[in-house]
Amino acid sequence: MTQAQAVAAAPASVTPRPARSARTVVARLTARKAVRSGVVWGYVFGALIASSAVSYSRIYKTRAARDALAAAYGANKATSALFGPAPQLQTVAGFTAFKIGMTLILLGAVWGVLTSTRLLRGEEDGGRWELLLAGQTTRRRAAAQALAGLGAGACVLWALTAILTVGAGLDPSVKIAAGPGLYFALAMTVTAVMFLAVGALASQLAPTRRQAASYAAAFLGACYALRMIADAGVGLHGLIWASPLGWVEELRPFAAPQPLALLSIAAFTAALATAAIATAGVRDAGAGVLDDHARSAPRLRLLSGPAGLAIRLARPIAAGWWTAIALSALLFGLIARSAGSTISGSSAQGVLAKLGASGSGADAVLGVCFLVLAVLIAFAAAGQVTAARAEEASQRLDHLLAGPVSRTRWLGGRLLIALGVLLAGGALAGVFAWLGAASQHSGAALGTLLDAGLNLIPPAITIGGIGVLAFGAWPRRTTSVVYVVLAWSLLADIVGGFGGSGPASRWLLDTSVFHQMASAPAASPNWAANAVMVAVGAACAAAGCIAFSRRDLAGD
Amino acid sequence: MQNPAIRAEALTKRYRGVAALDHLDLEVAPGEVIGYLGPNGAGKTTTIKLLLGLISPSGGRAEIFGADCQRRPAETHRLLAFVAGEANLWPSLTGAETLHLLGRVHGSVDAAYRDELIARFDLDPAKKIRAYSKGNRQKVILIAALMTRARLLILDEPTSGLDPLMEEAFRLSIREARDRGQTVFLSSHILSEVEALCDRVGILRAGRLVETGTLAQLRHLSALTVQVTFDGAVPDLAGVPGVSSLSADGQVVRCHVLGPIAPLLTALAGANVTELLSREPSLEELFLAQYGDHHDDHQDDALTEPAS
Repeated sequence: MTQAQAVAAAPASVTPRPARSARTVVARLTARKAVRSGVVWGYVFGALIASSAVSYSRIYKTRAARDALAAAYGANKATSALFGPAPQLQTVAGFTAFKIGMTLILLGAVWGVLTSTRLLRGEEDGGRWELLLAGQTTRRRAAAQALAGLGAGACVLWALTAILTVGAGLDPSVKIAAGPGLYFALAMTVTAVMFLAVGALASQLAPTRRQAASYAAAFLGACYALRMIADAGVGLHGLIWASPLGWVEELRPFAAPQPLALLSIAAFTAALATAAIATAGVRDAGAGVLDDHARSAPRLRLLSGPAGLAIRLARPIAAGWWTAIALSALLFGLIARSAGSTISGSSAQGVLAKLGASGSGADAVLGVCFLVLAVLIAFAAAGQVTAARAEEASQRLDHLLAGPVSRTRWLGGRLLIALGVLLAGGALAGVFAWLGAASQHSGAALGTLLDAGLNLIPPAITIGGIGVLAFGAWPRRTTSVVYVVLAWSLLADIVGGFGGSGPASRWLLDTSVFHQMASAPAASPNWAANAVMVAVGAACAAAGCIAFSRRDLAGD
Repeated sequence: MQNPAIRAEALTKRYRGVAALDHLDLEVAPGEVIGYLGPNGAGKTTTIKLLLGLISPSGGRAEIFGADCQRRPAETHRLLAFVAGEANLWPSLTGAETLHLLGRVHGSVDAAYRDELIARFDLDPAKKIRAYSKGNRQKVILIAALMTRARLLILDEPTSGLDPLMEEAFRLSIREARDRGQTVFLSSHILSEVEALCDRVGILRAGRLVETGTLAQLRHLSALTVQVTFDGAVPDLAGVPGVSSLSADGQVVRCHVLGPIAPLLTALAGANVTELLSREPSLEELFLAQYGDHHDDHQDDALTEPAS
């Protein structure tokens, strides 16, 4: 019998005594939402691990095939910088850890940040947190309870991942023992726990959820960049201990497990959680520690119409994406030459070819790295579409459309601005990759890298266009449609790329917009395919605009 | 002849078969201040969204100054200003920036009047929307609408969150608008506000316009409240034509009288009346009469017994 049922079943007493459940309401409420999300993502994590383990065991059946694979990836600095080092590729477990590991680690981090900022600062932004604080609790205790609730969500994430991993391990061709399977599931989900804590602290510092999420995302970017440099084989491996993502890497599931790294992970998480709870106890409800300037002199230059407003609102977000793209591109340029020089023999190039890169040396490495930039630019495009939907859902759009502004003009203006954000992002990618490469005398031409940068834009246009179509036709589904298309393309490209050359992999790859993009600068951009992607995106966007101008406005 | 400010013909909006607004016929003359009354969910906001062209009707049509709301929205929007019931604005903009933006979007702003309104509503325009209270956000969109001096003001529960002082400032501004010849469509459920400001009232119930007319007309249709104080025996008024809701408290009898009051006066002729008070129904009573019939019946049962 649950506590709630027990309370309901008890005879009504004359003087109402506070039920025990009233004191844990914050924990239970947060846990319910976090667990629901943990169930979904635990299933996704487990399914990804199981499917890649099983597909490896089917595709690389012989010892010789596995040795060739290990020789190709084992010493490849480009893939090791991006996905982490690859020991033990001859085993199913080792390959699975390498293939899916970094994706799950980053996915877990993003899940952690989004979940904790949503359930902490998001609830506060929405005014619901105050209702809870008005109950039998203190600000400090409520924060501690919410963190406990988030912990419950993380436990479910781990449990489901572990069950599916161990389940797949029972397959005779996979053969992962229960112990290592559980440890692997832990290594895959422990990042989520750390970044739940990061998001929790960011939620105390920042005055809005968006700012909290951006602080946490910036921290995640810095962690990834640090471990990337550490793994790029440029003699800075010690940096691995400076990055929380590096600690996760040092857990080394299946290879040479180092459970001691768990100590630093636990200490880091505990420190952040303690700091978050302490901060929640001393700050005012609804406010952040970092001051949000409540007053400012009017800046009217841009505010002469809907388009100017859209530029003003998009500016800080675009600046964030541009910075992330420029810094990543610079980093890729810096490591390209030394990473490229270690590639030797046809098997290594074969591996890069699976990711879509041909050519040799630095260009081949950059070709793979630019896939990351393509994903960043696609995320920027998706963000532009969801921002347009947010204007409508919050009914802020009503104020503009009640004036003499047509819907087509409003949406068209926003789409032009979004296109500008993407174009600038592509150009920055090319220029900064060139700056990094040129400083290492790698000899890449600016024109080639600029082309490679602009080559990243068509997939983003397709994804954005599909998002606009969803916005026009199913406004309340906009966000889910655009991120599902994006996540599917990304997973299909990675899973399909490593999955061998069977018809299933090829079909999987064909559904990914990232696969339709030639991997410049390793290959020259396929302008015909790009034109098709732009045309598909533009057609979807036009259909979305027409649908939007005819439908009812839809609030939340 | 001049086009009406608002004309709705059989205007209907259905959501999944359920009528949120059912065959609304309404005409508002230029310069008129009309109160649009109804409880939550009666269809007030739906009407306004249809007039603004933010949603399209399932049937019927609406015009603003002769221009179709659906087909020529840019034209109708130039003639009107809108105040939403919930002031959802851009949190990162300041009050001054928001007013500038909304003014530029609308196209015409009386800058001197805007400054006067900012002073009248005691708004600090340098603050960010995020830092404003609900009432202060409401002031921003009120000022944004009033400063345009548009020919038609469409107000959707505009005073939610305003304190009594600001409510007074609002009433002053609406009277100014009326004196200047602007038309005002005021959706509200604050009855005293509608009573104080409006020439005409429409009462909406479950998507249907159940009553419309000037306050005087509505009152005429409704019962008069009469209170009689006797010195000595209290006569039985139960059978008098037009008398209802009879209640007695010792020597004091209260009742409603619908139609001519002569039968009641005849019945009272023989009694020793020390005081006779009569009062027209307030808008609140008219409103409750539309929605609270059952409530009245109960009162009858409870209070007529001691009189017998």
